[in-house]
Amino acid sequence: MEYKTIMCDVLVVGAGGAGCRAAIEAANHNLDVIMLSKELLGKAHTAMAEGGYNVSLGNVDPDDNPETHFKDTIVGGNYLNNQKLAEILVEQAAQRVFDLEDMGAVFDRTPEGKIAQRPFGKQSWRRTAYASDRTGSEIMVTLTEGIRKASVRVFDEVFATRLLVTDGQISGVCAVDLKYGDYLVFRAKSVVMATGGAGRIFSVTSNAQLDVGDGYGMAYEAGCDMIDMEMIQFHPTGMVKPESAKGRLVTEAVRGEGGILLNNKGERFMNKYYPEVMELAGRDQVARSIMTEVIEGRGSPDGGAYLSIAHLPKSIVEFRLESMIEQFEDAGVDIREEPMQVSPTAHHFMGGIKTDEHAGTTIPGLFASGECTGGLHGGNRLGGNALADTQVFGAISGESAAKFAKNTKHLGVDRDEITKEFERLEAMLKRKDGVSPADARHELTELMWEKVQIFRKEEDMQYAVNELRRIQKEVVPDIKVDVPVKRFNPGWHQAMEFVHMVTTARMVAEAALMRKGSRGAHYRVDADPNDKGYYNIVIRKGKDGEMELKKEDLVISKITPP
Amino acid sequence: MTKTFKASVFRYNPDSDDAPYFQDFDVEYEPGMTVLDVLLYIQDKYDSSLAFRWECRGGQCGSCAVRVNKIARIACRTKADPDKELVLEPLEKMPVIKDLVTDISQVTYRLRRIRPYVARDKPVQHPEIIHAEQIEKLREIRKCIECSACISNCPIVHETWDYPGPMIIRQIARLELDPRDVEDRIAMAMNEMVYTCTTCKMCEDICPKSIKIPSLAVELLRAKAVEAGYPLAEGQQGFIDSVNATGRAVPEKDTPLLKDLGTEEFLVENPRGRVGFFTGCLIDYRMQSTGKALIDVLNRNGIDVIVPKEQWCCASPAFRTGDLNTAHASARRVTEIFETAGEKYNFDTVVVACAGCGKTLREDHYPFIEEERGIPPKYKVYDMAEYMMNVIGKENIVPPKGRIDLKVTYHEPCHLGRGQHVYDEPIELLKLIPGVEYIDDPYKNRCCGAGGGVRAGQRELSQKIANTKKEYIEATGADMVTTECPFCTIQINDMMKGTDMKVRYIPDLLAESYRKGEE
Repeated sequence: MEYKTIMCDVLVVGAGGAGCRAAIEAANHNLDVIMLSKELLGKAHTAMAEGGYNVSLGNVDPDDNPETHFKDTIVGGNYLNNQKLAEILVEQAAQRVFDLEDMGAVFDRTPEGKIAQRPFGKQSWRRTAYASDRTGSEIMVTLTEGIRKASVRVFDEVFATRLLVTDGQISGVCAVDLKYGDYLVFRAKSVVMATGGAGRIFSVTSNAQLDVGDGYGMAYEAGCDMIDMEMIQFHPTGMVKPESAKGRLVTEAVRGEGGILLNNKGERFMNKYYPEVMELAGRDQVARSIMTEVIEGRGSPDGGAYLSIAHLPKSIVEFRLESMIEQFEDAGVDIREEPMQVSPTAHHFMGGIKTDEHAGTTIPGLFASGECTGGLHGGNRLGGNALADTQVFGAISGESAAKFAKNTKHLGVDRDEITKEFERLEAMLKRKDGVSPADARHELTELMWEKVQIFRKEEDMQYAVNELRRIQKEVVPDIKVDVPVKRFNPGWHQAMEFVHMVTTARMVAEAALMRKGSRGAHYRVDADPNDKGYYNIVIRKGKDGEMELKKEDLVISKITPP
Repeated sequence: MTKTFKASVFRYNPDSDDAPYFQDFDVEYEPGMTVLDVLLYIQDKYDSSLAFRWECRGGQCGSCAVRVNKIARIACRTKADPDKELVLEPLEKMPVIKDLVTDISQVTYRLRRIRPYVARDKPVQHPEIIHAEQIEKLREIRKCIECSACISNCPIVHETWDYPGPMIIRQIARLELDPRDVEDRIAMAMNEMVYTCTTCKMCEDICPKSIKIPSLAVELLRAKAVEAGYPLAEGQQGFIDSVNATGRAVPEKDTPLLKDLGTEEFLVENPRGRVGFFTGCLIDYRMQSTGKALIDVLNRNGIDVIVPKEQWCCASPAFRTGDLNTAHASARRVTEIFETAGEKYNFDTVVVACAGCGKTLREDHYPFIEEERGIPPKYKVYDMAEYMMNVIGKENIVPPKGRIDLKVTYHEPCHLGRGQHVYDEPIELLKLIPGVEYIDDPYKNRCCGAGGGVRAGQRELSQKIANTKKEYIEATGADMVTTECPFCTIQINDMMKGTDMKVRYIPDLLAESYRKGEE
């Protein structure tokens, strides 16, 4: 099996908000840094984040401070958060937003010329910094500018498929150049995983096509501890139609700016469920409220609820929600005049690779940041905390990886393992009979959407787990690419992603089955009242190759759960 | 029953194909279907190896730009039209990797070359105070998602990579507008050939974020260059000196139209309307017969035409090249002349027959005058064809009777189509003429290379753009190309020298038909 080996000091896998920030940080340490990007540089899912970046600057509400931000984050996360990580987030969010400004970010301003801040769900103060409703895009553009300035070698459209571990320490990754189909091995002294989430394991999602959980799959296979995998945030407001736009995000900023939710009787139904906070209840709460209205027959014609901002002055809508206007214009709806139809969509993975305060994983030399990690957000992530997460922990992971690289040498790699990995990929092209990746993916995403979604129950979880075990055993080894071409072949790309999707989906379903009570985003209709749920579920690959799950105590530094 | 339409898709795998080819697919139409949906449908139903890029499907990432019926668009925000064949091709100017996926390394390289980040020369104090008004313009051009679509259809980039394309010029302007950036972006813009843009606005039309690159980037950088003391090209400065001295951009040759006419008033019995005629420099000094033809055509259709004797250049050359002193002085003067004449003769409508003048009056004078004095010019501006079709109304136009038995195509002036949103009216006018067989040119809205000061300042490049345009026009098989801009007419006449192709101005052709009809 022919492959090329490329050497570097620090390898960053993923080029979204966290990956770019990690690479920029690592490059400041006089090291050779490579960043792998599955997509073209700048096209990562971070660009789709809309609402904003939480930072307790107090520019609008002077009483805000990191303490309150911390409290909101922990309460919002249903006390499952790793509090040590949350402390770091709230303390460093300000410095990292200033970094972005130093690099050239253009956030909207207060009348005094400081960064403006808007209200977001479950936050005590107006805390969310923004650039209209394209904040993620602003941050991604800024980081792209930053990467173009930094001495980072960018390998775009290169897809990492396997982490290489030598004597328990990270030594590199196997990858495929998607453009031309060449097999590549990157050998590095340290590696940062910044591979994002996996919304795409659900058939309705706000996520870009690349968010399939590659990082979760690879980290699990390499032996990392994975945490809180059952905690999936369903964003309450995704688009309902047209069909092709189903699941596309409708930013929380719509509600932050004063948007109201209505059922088909014109009732502002949040009044029934969360009268004190109304539309700005937690994302899990709003999502369940909408679904309850729909299930009880008070939904909109296409199976959602109405979200209206038409009562606000047009000028405000045009200035602060410009992307929403554009997005709904394409669907034939003028949001300045008419309500939008919305329903929940798979949005964010609170869980992921378990990391410590230095962004370290359970594998020495392997660090991780951004959505692919778990622990920080607990049972429910606050809107605006994810962008802050990418910058705070992106920087930490880059620095930790650099420090680690300075104190180690390149390890050897197991060439048999490498050959075996590339043979596995090659076999998908050579197989005569088998399942097409599109069909396999369809089955998986429908299963997850049907059985492992917002309202969960034992029999569904058990069914999903059984099915996923079967898929892993029978379908994964049988994936067959229709056209055996290696040069930019999306069919092959999908096939390579599928194994990661299945591993990720199985971790989600197995953890969801284990957690018998309701907590955070994990809502059981058959909840065991005795299960308060104050624990984290940690998953790892056992010595026998089987998935092992166990409950671990929460990491508490300041706030004891009630 | 579901409707099915045909999508023709560019296929090429250089590993195995000697040459690219097109493959046709039947696609079942669904309401609201986008071009991305079409591609996903084909990938799902027919060929999972069909290569194209996409990520966010929401117009945020800029991955999915392809050429849709020759024009680059992002696929996820472009609706498929089930009543037309859909032709999908990779972006122009970029080497193909496979099918619709191109190698954009040239773009990446050109971006890196301009040091595309805010350069600082001292540590920053936090919080950094930046006021909303300091970033207002910057915020507009910051929306770029780097989809590269504008580069693909740029007529300048088509001829030469000396020009890095609209997206990259925009990034230079973004940095120039950033109060924090310390680099000399004007020198950089000069080095990146900012004066080669013809301001044809194709980029603005293509941009999924509707960024006004020609005005907010190109013309802004040029104005700053002039302010910084960079001289204009000799040919460009000649126009401007002439405007300042005489109110006309070109020197007098034959008797000017305004002198020749004798009177200001061309009145008809029982008029259905009254307009002022803004001649512009070229109709007054070079194309007098066209001016007369326009008056004739309007009169025949029951319109009083007032031609103020004292007219002044709209200063399009100054607006385009960045001499804002000349530009603004002219805008004030033109406004005064036509407001005064409007009061004297009681008209509030001004008709132009020059695309460049019309665009300048509407897009440049109007906002400038409004900003300066709080009230915009008191008259409405129409292009001649637009006035006839939309104000007089097609049903009221006196039908021209003289036959003109020719195959006729149309060159859409950039500053008429994209500049004034007048697209179909001139073609509708042409079709009124008996005998005319109209042939549509798929590239009719491609720039001829004259505008933006390029013909005056960069003759060689201008000719290259013209030669490309010539190939498109000739490929239609027409006997005659018509247009509605004197500047385009001159440029096309030059490019067609030595060929049999006739070049006509639409009012002339119309007047000819009317005259012939009477004989």
